[in-house]
Amino acid sequence: MMIPELGHIFLVIGFALSLLLAVVPLVGLRMQDAQLTQTGPLFATLLFAVTLLSFLCLTYAFLTDDFSVLYVANNSNSQLPYYYKITAVWGGHEGSFLLWLLILSGWTVAFSWLSDHLPADYRARILAVLGWVSIGFYLFITILSSPFERTLPYFPVDGADLNPLLQDPGMIIHPPLLYMGYVGFAVVFAFAMAALMTGRLDASWAKWSRPWTLAAWAFLTLGITIGSWWAYNELGWGGWWFWDPVENASFMPWLVGTALLHSLAVTDQRGAFKAWTVLLAISAFSLSLLGTFLVRSGVIVSVHAFATDPGRGLFILVLLALVIGISLTYFAARADNLRHTTKFHFLSREVALWLNNVFFSAATLIVLLGTLMPLFYKESGLGTISIGEPFFNEMFTYLVVPFAILLGIGPLMRWKKNGISKKTAMLLLVAVASVVLSYAWLLLRGQGIEGLALLGVSLAVWVFALTGFQLFRFFQQTGSLVKIKRSHWAMLVGHFGFAAAVLGISMTMNYSDERDVRMLVGDVVNIQGIDLKLNAVRDLNGPNYSGLVADITAIQGNAKYSILAEKRFYKARGMIMTEAGVHANLARDVYVALGEQLDSGSWVLRIYYKPLIRWIWLGGILIALAGFIAILDPRYRRWKVKSRATVSTVEAEHATP
Amino acid sequence: MSPRRKQRLAVIILILMGVSSAIGLVMFSLKENMDFFFTPSEVHQGKKDGGMKPKIGQRIRIGGMVVEGSVSRDPETLKVSFDLIDTGPMVKVIYEGSLPDLFREGQGIIALGVLKDGYVLEAQEVLAKHDENYMPPEVAEAVKGIKHVKPSKQVYIP
Amino acid sequence: MQLRKIAFILPLLTFAIVSVYLYSALYSDPRAKESSLLNRTVPDFQLNDLMDPTRQYKVKDLKGEVTLLNIWGVWCTTCKAELGFLTKLKEELGLRIIGIYYPLDVDPDLDGPLDLAKLTNNVDKTLKAYGNPYQFNMLDIEHQLSFDLGVTGAPETFVIDKHGVVRAHHMGDINPRVWQIKLAALVQQLKEEE
Repeated sequence: MMIPELGHIFLVIGFALSLLLAVVPLVGLRMQDAQLTQTGPLFATLLFAVTLLSFLCLTYAFLTDDFSVLYVANNSNSQLPYYYKITAVWGGHEGSFLLWLLILSGWTVAFSWLSDHLPADYRARILAVLGWVSIGFYLFITILSSPFERTLPYFPVDGADLNPLLQDPGMIIHPPLLYMGYVGFAVVFAFAMAALMTGRLDASWAKWSRPWTLAAWAFLTLGITIGSWWAYNELGWGGWWFWDPVENASFMPWLVGTALLHSLAVTDQRGAFKAWTVLLAISAFSLSLLGTFLVRSGVIVSVHAFATDPGRGLFILVLLALVIGISLTYFAARADNLRHTTKFHFLSREVALWLNNVFFSAATLIVLLGTLMPLFYKESGLGTISIGEPFFNEMFTYLVVPFAILLGIGPLMRWKKNGISKKTAMLLLVAVASVVLSYAWLLLRGQGIEGLALLGVSLAVWVFALTGFQLFRFFQQTGSLVKIKRSHWAMLVGHFGFAAAVLGISMTMNYSDERDVRMLVGDVVNIQGIDLKLNAVRDLNGPNYSGLVADITAIQGNAKYSILAEKRFYKARGMIMTEAGVHANLARDVYVALGEQLDSGSWVLRIYYKPLIRWIWLGGILIALAGFIAILDPRYRRWKVKSRATVSTVEAEHATP
Repeated sequence: MSPRRKQRLAVIILILMGVSSAIGLVMFSLKENMDFFFTPSEVHQGKKDGGMKPKIGQRIRIGGMVVEGSVSRDPETLKVSFDLIDTGPMVKVIYEGSLPDLFREGQGIIALGVLKDGYVLEAQEVLAKHDENYMPPEVAEAVKGIKHVKPSKQVYIP
Repeated sequence: MQLRKIAFILPLLTFAIVSVYLYSALYSDPRAKESSLLNRTVPDFQLNDLMDPTRQYKVKDLKGEVTLLNIWGVWCTTCKAELGFLTKLKEELGLRIIGIYYPLDVDPDLDGPLDLAKLTNNVDKTLKAYGNPYQFNMLDIEHQLSFDLGVTGAPETFVIDKHGVVRAHHMGDINPRVWQIKLAALVQQLKEEE
């Protein structure tokens, strides 16, 4: 019966431990006491342990339907299937914040275990920075946002149920993955801050922080991709990206994170862009925090936003201001000492990667502007506005064209030197071939030629072709696919993923057929050569919902399949939800959503034909996969074996002015 | 100026021009795609502060409550029309398509579309939040603390 | 080289400006604002009892005692969630709580227009299950009083003093924390007022 109180106590202990983690290693450094300096991993491990225990306490409360806990009462119901009871743990504000903390402590402990190759002082500082970040958040959860608050002595006999929007398999993994990404940038941020503190802003910090950046970024990519797929299935509008403020909040750290990956490569291998890389590392985590603030403070209205009181918002804002303010002040004070010492040609790979960063930064600024503009307008008393999707779509169209062209050429360039001029003829040939091939393919598909689609498909083919050429060259050099370096594979897979996503997006946006139709049982409609027949609309009975299901047969040529489109009524919340019926393959999705019944007895059905939409998510998965492949590069694994050697060379480098 | 400085200056000017035209483009597109929010009475009378009124043909969002008994569906197609109201005169919304699950008479909704002559909005999108105890905050603000007349009893002032 | 310095301070400045806006946005949520009915008498009304249509209430029935006016409905889950705590307030503080029942025109149970017998049955069941904090419930059948009060959703609660003047308006549920922070002291003070 005391389990929830225990969970709260664990969090209070967590707060104390994060204080120790933040202070003790630094004191050790100051006193030059090696034992104190090395206490970081111990505190990190304990911090993770108590957070995990606390999380398990909350999970236990959900599984045992302990509605005396306010948070359980608001987000669960005795009728809820057990797997949704587990996911309901992070279905609301307080619980998802606990998950946030669990992941933060998880990253901290992972770092502390995998970092014994780093110089002791550097490692201690990184752990201390993570400790300082943790202090704020543990304080927040214990005093303002505890998920263990009780409703005693009068508690409801049953709970209010998990928001039906969140009762979907996509929801089980979407938030944890997204938080893995968001919070993972905290480690990268700690690396950058520790480097600023010590002034050790050479290539070594870039090398060490790269696998952590890759990991966080890959999880974030996966989280965003699954989130998009979830919105497509659950919101009933057939859209895969809405430029909703909360989506934007996760997209901005991703954009900056991608820029950071590429910029780290330059700093690591060429020692250039030092200050810029540090700024990106700070920005990635800052934008993650900004996203957290936007979602949890109630300043923006969105499908995903948590309703909350301004007190909580204020606390997060103060935290945000402290973390970002201090780090940017540090940056302004210290980064000035960083100079580029390297020289490179105008057509070298450095410049290509610099342009990559320009594009990603511009994209981030555009998303930031579009997300915050309504807020600026309102607070300046200029009226209530919203920024329409066309703004983002238009801006991203402008950006993606030069970017994709660059992405094809960039990897073919050489460090420092001009190595691309010789290939001009080949590039021109590929460009012409891409356009011709795309034109022919679109003509064959028979949906006509849309200018933007032709542009998009050509760009995708261009990137496919040149990345394929890269693969061929690596193959030539090594003589075997297996011998190609993992980091090279990662680049290839990532760029293939980008091409796949561009292909999917341009096809879906230009050739989707969307219709709202009214149908009586027995009616047939044809959409893009597919006959859809409404067989019946039947009653539906789920564990915690009732509703209607439209039974549809789709006939395409000789193939025949059944599509079930549901409309669910969730009893406890009194909410109606659309559960779209989708038949999917790589060429197209057929998407059916059941609407209302009209007086005449006919049904409104929303029927969409979405060509190549799966390629968008396929692209996202490939891009994430690229991140995971890159982490496996032996370059990073070798640390452990060679750790002593690495340290000594670094110190030697550092000593030379 | 030495040739090297000249070259430098040229590069800086080029970058500045590029950046400023990019900013100009972004700002222009932003302005084009800004959808202002109005309540039905503001469409008629202009905003309380500043008196800004939407023009015919402008894309706007209107938030208000669906007047009871005003929803009418075309029996053959999916065309539907209904009246929106806040505290004063109404605006008629016409829309073709499937309405959101929680579209109900008397509920607060937001319609996004192009304003036509005669206080008619041709909507491209009708939104009702997925929660009953929800009223769009813009609507909440607009109707706050003002003497209300029940929508069905409202006299229509053209 | 001064230019270079400025460039490094730029991110900090940008963030400072953004955070000023973020701060002001925190407090501009319409749901967090005070009602303009504050410190004015509850508007005149005439409503039937929810359970017994022969009984009628007017504004004078609210006067004479510090009262919580609670807008709710069985269709509203958050309202159900706060019933337990409200009941506790009634029992422990002897506070008078009066319900304004806000019916939906079409019940979400998908079975047609409002049926009063079914509604009272439903209300009865809900109050038995979650606790009944109400001295009585008024059925705001035409949403007239709710509109006059500036209600934007459910649940919402008004604190009315002994003279029938609105002294506080809370949107959202009342839970122990909201009660402690926002309402407890006010109610205590109003009780001591003449």
